[in-house]
Amino acid sequence: MMKYIGKLEYYLIALITITLLNTFLGENFQSTALVSILVGLTVMYKGFTVIDHFMELKGAHKYLRLMMKTYFVIFPSLIMLTVFF
Amino acid sequence: MSNKATAEPLGIFFRSWSEKNAGRVPGNIPIWVGILSELTEFGIFFTAYFIAKFYYPEVFSGGPQSLNTTIGVLNTIVLLSSSYFMAKAMANIRLDNLKKCEHFLWLAFICGCIYLCLKTYEFHWNDLQGYSTSTNEFFTVYYYMTFNHFLHVGWAACAILWVIFRLRKGAYSAKESTGLEALAVYWHMIDLMWILIFPLLYVLR
Repeated sequence: MMKYIGKLEYYLIALITITLLNTFLGENFQSTALVSILVGLTVMYKGFTVIDHFMELKGAHKYLRLMMKTYFVIFPSLIMLTVFF
Repeated sequence: MSNKATAEPLGIFFRSWSEKNAGRVPGNIPIWVGILSELTEFGIFFTAYFIAKFYYPEVFSGGPQSLNTTIGVLNTIVLLSSSYFMAKAMANIRLDNLKKCEHFLWLAFICGCIYLCLKTYEFHWNDLQGYSTSTNEFFTVYYYMTFNHFLHVGWAACAILWVIFRLRKGAYSAKESTGLEALAVYWHMIDLMWILIFPLLYVLR
């Protein structure tokens, strides 16, 4: 059984776990600064994981990878910035 | 036009951007032009969300509590799984394992269909609760963003069917899988957009 669990499977499990964790945070806590920062950081991680391992941009065209990653720095950072308004 | 002529670069980009210097372009250039357009479109939606949230913080704080979070979570899991199946399809085409590749493409397609069904039910559920595009600023942004994403999943699911048809016709192999890879990167882009939409609309208070 274990031999069928490769890298992609681990990433999928990690992504689903993070989704459930974010939902738990959102449901059980008012949007405190800590929740917004945690959600922003985990969204960034989820984006980077999909870009590098599912989309396979790791080792591909470096500017396309940079463009995608920049996108997933800008918008999750805006989530974290919402702490201030 | 000869093959040699079509294979030559346009010469409108910096030399450092060429595949030789910057690395391989997954899929093809046209699909990346499409992806860049979609990223811009969704980027405008996200910017609109943050501007609206800045001006109507109370409406946006209460908005996610009005939505069906369970459906939102299920749709996230379904789309993440579809991205995984698409990645497995790509891994199998590289091994010339056409049967398994098709199998994973069908699974990705089924996930797309489940997403569309769940989203349709969610829109119906909202309607039953009395929510519409004009309920408040949160719902205007919610429908604007999610219905647009819904359309993207819809036509990308149709594209999966087309790629399965082409795969069965022998158009793809380990040596030539550009079309399949173009679909894969587009599908992942749609998943990425949902990864951003989900916390904005369902999680953040």
